[in-house]
Amino acid sequence: MNKQIAAIISALMISLPGYISAGDTPAPDNAYLYIGWPNDGEVLYSGRPFRVWFGLRNMGVAPKGVNKPNTGHHHLLIDSDLPPLDEEIPSDRNSVHFGAGQTETMLELPPGTHTLQLLMADYNHVPHNPPVYSKKITITVK
Amino acid sequence: MLIRILLVLAGTLVFCSTHVVAEQTPSAENARVYIIWPADGAVIRGGKLWVRMGVRNAGVAPKGVDIPNVGHHHLLIDADLPPLDEEIPSDRNHLHFGGGQTEARLEDLSPGTHTLQLLFADYNHMPHDPPLYSEQITITVPPY
Repeated sequence: MNKQIAAIISALMISLPGYISAGDTPAPDNAYLYIGWPNDGEVLYSGRPFRVWFGLRNMGVAPKGVNKPNTGHHHLLIDSDLPPLDEEIPSDRNSVHFGAGQTETMLELPPGTHTLQLLMADYNHVPHNPPVYSKKITITVK
Repeated sequence: MLIRILLVLAGTLVFCSTHVVAEQTPSAENARVYIIWPADGAVIRGGKLWVRMGVRNAGVAPKGVDIPNVGHHHLLIDADLPPLDEEIPSDRNHLHFGGGQTEARLEDLSPGTHTLQLLFADYNHMPHDPPLYSEQITITVPPY
């Protein structure tokens, strides 16, 4: 009987990842993360690097490894969907870490449409609970 | 005699300590602090706004975090730059963002003109060497 209940519970947990997928570090409920620039739909020109600035309200920035309440560091997802929100954010060219506490970056992308999205993570590169991420925007590089 | 020497020594130590405190954290050569928004000359109806604080080629860290090339923002409201080799005062004209915040909510600006300026400081609230500060901008709050 106990085994059956345990099996049902674990099945529920697997089938409901949306309810359990978040890291352990709490984030304020009113934290607001957004891309300050470029705007959604912005058209940019290839060969000209552009600045992306990271907007964050009701929360602070701290470099990786610094464990202070209500802080985290920025990650910029380029042409990528949100990764699993209860794991360390991958570090590759589609998922750029700003572990030195940076709040803006320069970017150069090849011609085409691209998506950008910000995701905050704690001192361990794991998203917060609730996760703090921006709207995903689409830009065009001509 | 011994007591007198001790007194002189103690006096020297007290005198020196104020100078020792002035040891400053180096800043990156190309680092720059600036106000992203509002723009110089902006008119802010109602006197409520978010000030967006920008830094290039350096990072943000909460107060007390001593790692290279980071600091935290201070917003000077209707104030000139304080002495740059001392801890930045903390009062309603010098707002500290020791939580690593990159935006400041202002809600009680009275009608009239006001100046805003950013000054970056190290883990000890002391400006860097060379100091990192933005231009001083002027905004206007029209009569309510």
